[in-house]
Amino acid sequence: MQTQRVSVKFTGASGEGINTIGVLLLRALKKHGLRVFGYREYPSLIKGGVASYQVDFSSKELNSSSRYCNILLAFTSRSLNEYLKDVKENGIIVYDQKDINLTEEQRLYIEKRNISSVFLDSESIALETGGIKIMSNVVMLGFLWRILGLKVETLIEVVLKHFKNKNVDLKAEENCIRAGYTSATFRPEYAKKINTPQKEILSNNNGYVMTGNNAIALGAISAGVRAYYAYPMTPATSIFEYMGENAKETGILVKQAENEITAVQMAMGSMYMGTRALVATSGGGFDLMSETISCAGMSETPLVVILSQRGGASTGLPTWTGASDLNLALKAGHGEFPRAVIATSDAQTAYTLIQKALNIAETYQLPVILLMEKQISESVFNFKKMPRVEKIERGLVEKAEDITQRYQITDTGISPRWIPSKEKKPYLANSDEHSENGSSIEDSEGTIAMANKRLRKLETLAKDLPEPTLYGDRNPDLVFVGWGSVKNAVLDAISSFTKINEIDKNNKINKNNGKVGYLHYEYIHPLKTKILEQLIEQNKRLVLVENNQTGQLGNYIKENIGYEFNEKLLKYDGRPFFVEDILDFLKN
Amino acid sequence: MSVKITDYNSPNTPTWCPGCGNYAIHASLKKTLSELNISPSELFMSFDIGCNGNGADMINTYAFKGLHGRSIPLAVGAHLANRRMTTIADIGDGGCFHEGLDHLVHAIRSNYNITILIHNNANFALTTGQATVSTPKRKPMYGLPEGIPERNLDVPEFILSLDPSFYARAYSGNLIQMGEIFKSAIENKGCSVVEILQLCPSYNKEFTPQWANENIKEIKEVENYNADSLENARDIVVNNSPLYTGIIYRNKNLPTFYDSLDSRKNSLTELVDEVKVHDIKKLLKYFE
Ligand SMILES: Cc1ncc(C[n+]2csc(CCOP(=O)(O)OP(=O)(O)O)c2C)c(N)n1
Ligand code: SF4
Ligand SMILES: [Mg+2]
Repeated sequence: MQTQRVSVKFTGASGEGINTIGVLLLRALKKHGLRVFGYREYPSLIKGGVASYQVDFSSKELNSSSRYCNILLAFTSRSLNEYLKDVKENGIIVYDQKDINLTEEQRLYIEKRNISSVFLDSESIALETGGIKIMSNVVMLGFLWRILGLKVETLIEVVLKHFKNKNVDLKAEENCIRAGYTSATFRPEYAKKINTPQKEILSNNNGYVMTGNNAIALGAISAGVRAYYAYPMTPATSIFEYMGENAKETGILVKQAENEITAVQMAMGSMYMGTRALVATSGGGFDLMSETISCAGMSETPLVVILSQRGGASTGLPTWTGASDLNLALKAGHGEFPRAVIATSDAQTAYTLIQKALNIAETYQLPVILLMEKQISESVFNFKKMPRVEKIERGLVEKAEDITQRYQITDTGISPRWIPSKEKKPYLANSDEHSENGSSIEDSEGTIAMANKRLRKLETLAKDLPEPTLYGDRNPDLVFVGWGSVKNAVLDAISSFTKINEIDKNNKINKNNGKVGYLHYEYIHPLKTKILEQLIEQNKRLVLVENNQTGQLGNYIKENIGYEFNEKLLKYDGRPFFVEDILDFLKN
Repeated sequence: MSVKITDYNSPNTPTWCPGCGNYAIHASLKKTLSELNISPSELFMSFDIGCNGNGADMINTYAFKGLHGRSIPLAVGAHLANRRMTTIADIGDGGCFHEGLDHLVHAIRSNYNITILIHNNANFALTTGQATVSTPKRKPMYGLPEGIPERNLDVPEFILSLDPSFYARAYSGNLIQMGEIFKSAIENKGCSVVEILQLCPSYNKEFTPQWANENIKEIKEVENYNADSLENARDIVVNNSPLYTGIIYRNKNLPTFYDSLDSRKNSLTELVDEVKVHDIKKLLKYFE
């Protein structure tokens, strides 16, 4: 049977709690044993725009959104207009503003698609029930819960837990949910329209729900990061929020720096001194950090920078997603020096890869750029188990008391590094070209020897890194190649596509597309190409999928092995890949 | 074992011009550090880019020669990681008042327990003599034959406007006083700013030892001078003749940044001691 996915979208004025209500739904569904994925859209302003929160859920794992929703809950007429066309056939629209007047065109649209349009006077219900105006939100939630046909107690438990310490009348909150749930506006045919998936049999453990930014912060805390230097920039900012809110618990030093240059310089200073420090930013902030990236490369100081991408050049689409900063991560900083570029794709990989990134930065003594996207940073992922904790690897020399050659020339390119302390010999970390003991030099021979030593680290690192992962069919006809959050839409599409293929024998699906695979790049630089070259040799149909305009990974692959992708599926409108983007490609 | 001044000697030969004030600054600093019994392995110095920064090769200690204008935040990051190290940020007037002025403002405001040594030679020397905020107006400089058209920045007034924990002015030709100032600056718990009027015979020819002898006076010559008074300090720097050197101002009541952090209140260790796998079970509860 086809995996059933249901999508519910809340939409309203930005700054009016759309995010909170979305997260509450997500948590309640998870509590019920379903797998969930949460996706936010919001404008770069505090009040007055249109925001939405979409929750997709299923009995099986899912990590992406549908472009369309089965149920749209609209809190303003403007937001209804904005998202009406996203409602699926046979879907449901619930709105709670008396003044919402649909145009003739909209009425026809709704009718043609057999969409139920329901007015729920949630505000009156909230007030009559002894609640306040804002509680109309949970009245809507209760009503939705009824349509989904789920037990109201689960929802109440989740909502009350959320508001527990927040100076809210919990009894009124509960009554409002119940009033929404039992509202006479409900019709059994609504429930029939939505085939709520059956939950999987789960033990007590329904897994975790968290954003990618939560996960990366947790990974960093776990890996012994002790200083976090921040400067706000969406979509990286909520890492700062999490670090700050938990600083008393973790003991981590959280410092809001005067700008990104300061933040990254402080991080480099702390890393030199021997603790683990972290910074995170987005494109513009990363631009400001690039001189320091080069400095870390030259001075061989470990450094990890999280670069969470958003859409567009310059200020672009500040609150929307994209993956157009791969070039930046690969090339930022003047001069030639080794670095590593790693890309997360979801919360779990964010948790794991931040730990790996810190290990790589310290072991190979170089800057590591860890890529995220708004789609990863701010979406809510649901997974059953936390990935395992990585062992901390620092690459420090044990007996450093007598060592003075901080930049000793070695075969691996890796020189001895030790934590500055009273008992050990001091050394100069130098951004000027330097000799083995760190002293500045300008001679030709010394310069070449040291430059070669540094670049050898990249070869050593490349040997230690894994090849990209091939997902999906073991012997695929078609292989998507990508990095970052595209993995989620592609894998969700592959699993539902395979099912569609089975049941729908005479549909339009191109036979050649029968068996689909996905080659996912996590470690992008240094680039591993063995599996890719095998696929090329086997004449597989390869399709590049990237959330950017020019196919940056494709170009980087071409730069490395000369292969040019004939087919490219590129998206650069600030939206992530939805499952339909991939499915439509496969069907055509 | 007591620390000797020679412990700080590096094997490298200085590259400064004859008569450059940087020689005296280094000699005086090394002497002070040895007198304070701080060993080269108990000190961290961040160096800027400039003639001042070329001093990174001239001292044997834990040091980082980083980027132009950035020696202050680099030092702050190192300091916050391990407060057992005495931390000094070394910088020129170009790096401090041009490229990285924001860092000076925020370091003073945040009051990290570090010492900032500003080599003020009234020019960008390593790039062969461009004007800085301290170059006299209308003095012909590199690329500006008519001199800077705009106003100077009054450095002492500017720094005092930030109510620093410690502000002193030294003169590179007065080694004894410079050493005393360094000592007080390092011992001060807070952000100590020392502006050193530095001889640069190559690009600031007007500022000679003779001129200095006639125009610079030690603050101890001022009767009843009270460095705890911001008003006194402001009065003394407004009138630039004579120029007074010495501890101009100190505010002993400012808490340091680190001591003001709730998250670090009860910790007995430094951040460098704490890199290990931290258990996140408790934090995970929220996401279940
Ligand atoms: C980002 C950057 N911009 C410019 C330079 C070039 N540069 C090197 S030293 C210097 C000026 C140094 O002046 P100052 O800080 O006063 O130090 P001094 O040489 O006078 O001691 C400049 C502009 C640089 N190294 N980095
Ligand atoms: S140019 Fe000036 S500051 Fe630079 S070394 Fe020569 S005298 Fe010293
Ligand atoms: Mg200068």
